[in-house]
Amino acid sequence: MKPLHVREARADDLPLLTDWLGRRVELPAAPHERLLLAGCDDPVLPLRATLRLVPAIGLALPRVAYHVGCTVHAAPELGLFHRQRTLLLGHDHTGASELADIAWPQHEVPLAEQALALHTLVQAALQHIGRARARYAQRLVAELPGPRDAAGQSPFWFGLGRHFYSGDPAAAAATHGPAWRSHVASLLPRHLLYTSFLPAAAESAVAQVRDGALVLREVLEDAGLRYAHHVNVEDGGPVLEAEIDDLPAVRQSQSR
Amino acid sequence: MNPQDLLFRAAGPQDLDAFERIAAASATGITTLPADRTLLREKLERSAQAFASLDDSSGEEIYLFVVEDLAAAGGPRVVGTSGIAASAGFADRFYSYRNEMIVHASAALSASNRIHTLHLCHDLTGYTLLTSFYIEPAYADTLAPQLLSRARFLFIAEFADRFSDRIAAESPGLSDDSGRCPFWDAVGRRFFDMDYPQVERLTGGRSKAFIAELMPHTPIYVPLLPEAAQWAIGQLHPVGELPFSILLDEGFDTETYVDLFDGGPTVDARVSMVKTVARSRPVTADGAIEKHGKDGTDSTGSNDSAGGLRGAGEGWHLVSNTRRGQFAAVLHAGPAALAPSARRLLGGDDAAPLRVAALDLVTPHGEAT
Repeated sequence: MKPLHVREARADDLPLLTDWLGRRVELPAAPHERLLLAGCDDPVLPLRATLRLVPAIGLALPRVAYHVGCTVHAAPELGLFHRQRTLLLGHDHTGASELADIAWPQHEVPLAEQALALHTLVQAALQHIGRARARYAQRLVAELPGPRDAAGQSPFWFGLGRHFYSGDPAAAAATHGPAWRSHVASLLPRHLLYTSFLPAAAESAVAQVRDGALVLREVLEDAGLRYAHHVNVEDGGPVLEAEIDDLPAVRQSQSR
Repeated sequence: MNPQDLLFRAAGPQDLDAFERIAAASATGITTLPADRTLLREKLERSAQAFASLDDSSGEEIYLFVVEDLAAAGGPRVVGTSGIAASAGFADRFYSYRNEMIVHASAALSASNRIHTLHLCHDLTGYTLLTSFYIEPAYADTLAPQLLSRARFLFIAEFADRFSDRIAAESPGLSDDSGRCPFWDAVGRRFFDMDYPQVERLTGGRSKAFIAELMPHTPIYVPLLPEAAQWAIGQLHPVGELPFSILLDEGFDTETYVDLFDGGPTVDARVSMVKTVARSRPVTADGAIEKHGKDGTDSTGSNDSAGGLRGAGEGWHLVSNTRRGQFAAVLHAGPAALAPSARRLLGGDDAAPLRVAALDLVTPHGEAT
């Protein structure tokens, strides 16, 4: 594989990124927001991954996620001890920085090359944070996509969200962009949910990553991000999180 | 059967055999009557104490009643039971689910949904609770169940200071013959690996609060439940239809509460708004029914029924005595004078005070009133 380089996206990249993400993509509007691309001198596939570095989320539109908790129902005299997993809608990531809109071509691209492109892009973004540390928050988050069936349907949405918003999530996302989740949040349950009330397929999708995105999970975990008991409201995919100052790539670029 | 051969009275230790027979026959639904002779004996003793006690009410009293068919072949026979618990969840909490609607709306998505939720609540704690209703199937179409259910309201009206000003009654929810209960399977079973009948046995004779505290304390979003369970919310088991319909006729509300375990409807009312309570009137020493005015100016009635009951209109009436220890009630066909035999069943002398309430039921002549 040719050497990779990272650059900021230009207007003429947008049609391709729109194709990758399946919805309209815009150049950064906010200060210190960056839309980055990893590319190489490959005549067939010159662009290999994209990522948007957002300095602070949830300050204009509330940013929602389910917090995945645990509650125990125990009755020693009955010999009962039940551990229950719970979901609670919240805005825990308000003000955090985000690695968003992560997309990369997967078709006929060797996994190792996918991993390298993502790794290069993520490291570049973290180094950028390190060099302009004051512009970014304490926490960094990155969402991973949850499981889908062959028809592209999310079992998590089918078991939970669908009962509260009957519209098509893909259509709503196309119309409203990423903000659709903030809109749909006002229709979702606000009280604690027990995942045992969900169908088995939805319950087991909580915090699971779609097969094709496992490589992204490895790259982000390698960079120091971890699952911290939050999942996205649409497909139940995990949100990986970190204290920015704990990330090696950030520290190294700061000390330079 | 002549309705005037039916006697509603306070149950006593002598009714143990009848209670045991009825508890065995009513496996579904009447969880307040355990099919266990020792427990039943204790319950009857508690009830007898409650009737006889000279103390002020503490709230822990239960009052059990029977209806006897005095003219049954083979001699007087208990054909039904009913009861009152003075205070639901006494010394503990009484749990129910309260139906609530939450409206979720998003202007951006132009969507608005009414979401049905069930909230675990203690609203009915301290309410007076109607319990233990059972009528032998052969008597279901007679006036016996009417007497059996409604005469309790004369007792409550007469001894109002021993009861709450609010009243409720649980009804059995949907379950099949093997005891499978769709609401339990969708809700309770997720927290207890037990069948519904097993849980009923576990709670029989003790407070449901024990189990309720292990249930989720946050609202249940009904759309997330399986369809069979959604359908079962507020649905009545067929065995509960007769007593349920009587309470609806008395003005009980069925919209608000359902049972925690089987989703059956729990009806509630203000005591003062219960039809038989609102209609019931003391009978003065001369046998006239007190009308609304204290001066009794519109008391009417002929003088030919000295020692009986005057002023009762057409149709069936409930007539009770006012003695807590030997409480009894009978059916009386107005506007005739109270029969001496009925007087004897109610006990006391001809001048003993009575309480009366009209029933909206078919008269002895077959006319609806």
